[in-house]
Amino acid sequence: MRGFPGKGAPTSKMRTLTIGMAAAAVALVSAACGSSGSSSPSSKTFGDNATGVVHFWARQATDGPAKALVAAFNATHKNLKIVLHLTPPNDDTSQLATAIRAGSVPDVVGLNDIDVPTFSHENALMNITKYVNALPYRAALSPGHLKLATINGQYYGVPYLADLSVLWYNKTLFRKAGLNPDAPPANYAQIVSDAAKISALGHGIYGFSFAGNCQGCLGFTMLPSLWAVNEHLINGPLGTQTANVASDAPLKTMLQDYHIMWAKHETPVADQTQNGLTWGKDFEAGKVGILPGDYGFAAAFTTPAQHAEFADAPLPGVTGDSYSTFDGGDDFVIPAGAPNASGAWEFIKWALEPAQQVKYPSEGMTPIRTDILTPSFSTTNPYDAVALKALAKGSVEYTLAYDAVFNEPGSPWFKMFEDAVYNGNLGAGIAEGQSGIQSTLDSVKG
Amino acid sequence: MPGDVKVAPAERMLRRRDHARRDPGPRAMARRTNRTGLLLVSPALAFVCVFALFPLAFGIYISLTNWPLIGPYHLIGLANYTALVHNSVYLQSILFTLKYTAIVTVPIFVAGYALAVFVRANRRGSTVFRTMIFLPYIVGLVTLSFMAVVELQPQSGTANFVLAKLGIVKATTAWLVHTGLALTAISILVIWLASGFTMMLLMAGMQAIPAEIYESARVDGASWWSAEWHLTVPLLRRSIALSLIVSVVYSFLAFNQFFIMTDGGPGTSTESVVMAIFQTAFADMNVGLASAMSVVLVVVVGLITFAQFRLLQGDEY
Repeated sequence: MRGFPGKGAPTSKMRTLTIGMAAAAVALVSAACGSSGSSSPSSKTFGDNATGVVHFWARQATDGPAKALVAAFNATHKNLKIVLHLTPPNDDTSQLATAIRAGSVPDVVGLNDIDVPTFSHENALMNITKYVNALPYRAALSPGHLKLATINGQYYGVPYLADLSVLWYNKTLFRKAGLNPDAPPANYAQIVSDAAKISALGHGIYGFSFAGNCQGCLGFTMLPSLWAVNEHLINGPLGTQTANVASDAPLKTMLQDYHIMWAKHETPVADQTQNGLTWGKDFEAGKVGILPGDYGFAAAFTTPAQHAEFADAPLPGVTGDSYSTFDGGDDFVIPAGAPNASGAWEFIKWALEPAQQVKYPSEGMTPIRTDILTPSFSTTNPYDAVALKALAKGSVEYTLAYDAVFNEPGSPWFKMFEDAVYNGNLGAGIAEGQSGIQSTLDSVKG
Repeated sequence: MPGDVKVAPAERMLRRRDHARRDPGPRAMARRTNRTGLLLVSPALAFVCVFALFPLAFGIYISLTNWPLIGPYHLIGLANYTALVHNSVYLQSILFTLKYTAIVTVPIFVAGYALAVFVRANRRGSTVFRTMIFLPYIVGLVTLSFMAVVELQPQSGTANFVLAKLGIVKATTAWLVHTGLALTAISILVIWLASGFTMMLLMAGMQAIPAEIYESARVDGASWWSAEWHLTVPLLRRSIALSLIVSVVYSFLAFNQFFIMTDGGPGTSTESVVMAIFQTAFADMNVGLASAMSVVLVVVVGLITFAQFRLLQGDEY
C-alpha cells in the first residue's frame, strides 16, 4: 500500500493514557529532533549553499523515494547532510503536531497532501510563496498538490511526489471475453458492460474488483470519476462548505453501477472485507478483469508476460470520455521555526529536478512535474506515463475534514457506499451521505 | 551523699546523647526504618510519579481545555465532560465495550480454570500442554489479529473453509463486516488467547496450596468436586481476584483486535472506548475531548477494579 489518502496498515497499541503521556513526553521528545546548521539566511542566499544538517521527516508509506533521495543527496553534497526520520503509519500527523507544540520541529516534512490544509490553517508552516514562484518549472507542478498547499494565493508547501489512481485492466481476459484489449473502458457504462462479459468467462474470473472495506481506497478510486465530469462532493470555501450529494447525478450512477456488479456477483465476495492490506492481489493473480487502483501496483509487474497481460488507463469519468486521477501523495512543507529552512529548501529544489524526478517510478511513485512526461519517459515507464498524463487533470477535495468525511470507518462517505452498494438502498445511502457529510463539514471550523 | 557524683548539665546532655546513640529507642528505630524503606522505594516511586501520576494529572488538565492536536488552546472548564453526555459515538462505544467485556470475561475464567486443573499436576507431558496453551499469549494479540483477518476471508480463509466443510457456515461468509459475526470471531480469538494467561495465574495459585490439605480431605472422605469447591476455590481467592481484574481491565482497554480486524466497523458498531478516544484525538484532532473521555474511562475502570477487590477479598485481607 502506498500513500493513497486512506489508512495505512493498522498497527500501534494505544492505551487510554497514551494521549496524556504523549503530551507529557513532548519535552523529552523535543530534545531528539533538533536541527543545526545555517539558519535565517537572507532571501538572496536562501536555499543556496546551505550547510549543516537537515532533519527530514517522511511517511513510512513513502520510504522508498525518501531513502533514495536522501542517499543520493548525501552522496553528492559535502556541506549539507539530510537525516531521514520515517514516521509510522497513522502517526505522521500526530508526531508532527507533537513536535510543533513542543517548539522543536524538523526542517522539512513530506506530509500527506490532504493533511497540509490542517497544518497551514494553524500557521504551523512556513510561507514559501516567493521561493515557489521563483522556480522556473512552477507551472509544471501538480495543480492538485499545490492547491492543497495554498491559502489565499500563498503557498505553504510544494508538491513532493504523486501517488495516483488509475484503472488497471487485464488484456488477456479482455481478449478471452471478446473485448478489444487496446480499448479500456472510457466510462462507467462500459465498465459495467465489460465486467459482465469478463465474468461470463467463469472459472473464478471476475469482471471487476474493489477494496470494499477500505474507506480511503474507495475515495481514491471513485472520486476521480466524479471530478472528471466536473462534480465535487464538497463545494465552497472553507467555513461555508456544502455537501453535493443529493443532486449529484453522476454519483448516483456510479453507486448504482457498483451495486449492479456486486449484486450480480461480478466482483469477488471478498471485496466486502478488503481493507486495503491485500488490495490488488486478485488482479495480480489474473483473476480480475478491471480494477480501479493505485499506480504503485505496477511494482509487481516485472516480467514481459506480465507487461503483456496487465495494462493501465486513466480513471474514466462516470459518463462521456473524460478522465481524472486522485492527486494523492505528499507535499514538501517547512514547519514554521525550522532551524535549517535554507538547507531544507536546497534539498527540496534538488529533489524536484528532472534527474531525481525520473527515478520516482522505480520507487512506485509518479513524478510531481507534468513536464517530466516526455516520449523517452513514456517508453521507459509505460505504466507511469498513464498516471503522469492524468496528473494534469487530477484533483482533490479541499477540506479540513477529509479524514472525517471519507477515511474513517464510520464516515458518512462509507455509510453511503455500504447502503447503496451492499444493501442496494441507493435512496437511503444518498440521503445519509448528504446529511452526514454536511453535518461533518459544519462541525469543522475554518 | 557518698557516690553521688555531681555532673554538670552540659555533660549530662552529652551522656544522654551518647546513650541514645548506643541504644536507640523504638521511635527512633521506626523512624530510621521508615527512612530506609522510603529510600528503597524512591526509584519506583519516582518512576510512577513521572510516568503515571504526572501524565494523569496533565491529562486531566488537558481535559479541561479545548486542546487541538495543533494550534492554540484555552481552559473551557467542564465543557468537554458535559459534551460527553450527548456524544452518541462515545456512549455507544461504552455500551459496546461493556457488552464485549460481559461476553469474554466468564469464558476466559472458566476455560482458564479448567485448563489450570488439567495442567497443574507435574505429571509427564504437563509442560508441553502448558506451553501449547500459553503460546497464543506469547505470540501476541496483534499478530493473531492479523492472522485472523487472513483466515476469516470469505472463500479464501482457512476458518471459513473448515467451517463450511462442517456445514456450519457458508464459504462466502464475510465475518468481519457484520457486527454479530465480527464480535463472535473477536471474542473467540480473545478467549483462546487470554485463557492461557488465566491458566498460568490460577495454576501458580493451585500449586502453592499444600498437598497435605487435600490428603486430609481425602481421609475425611471428601470427593474431588467437594475438595475443589471447598478447598481449592476458597484458597485461590487472591489468584481468582487477580485473574478476573486483569481480564476485565484488559477488556475495557481493548483496542488492537478491533482496530486490526474491523477498524470499528461496520460503521462504528464495533468501536471500543479506546478506539473512540483514539479517533477523537488523532482523526478529529480534538485532544481535549479525548482526554476527558480517557479520564472518565480511568474512573470507570478504577471503580470496577475497586468493586471487584471488595467483592473478592474476603476475610483474609
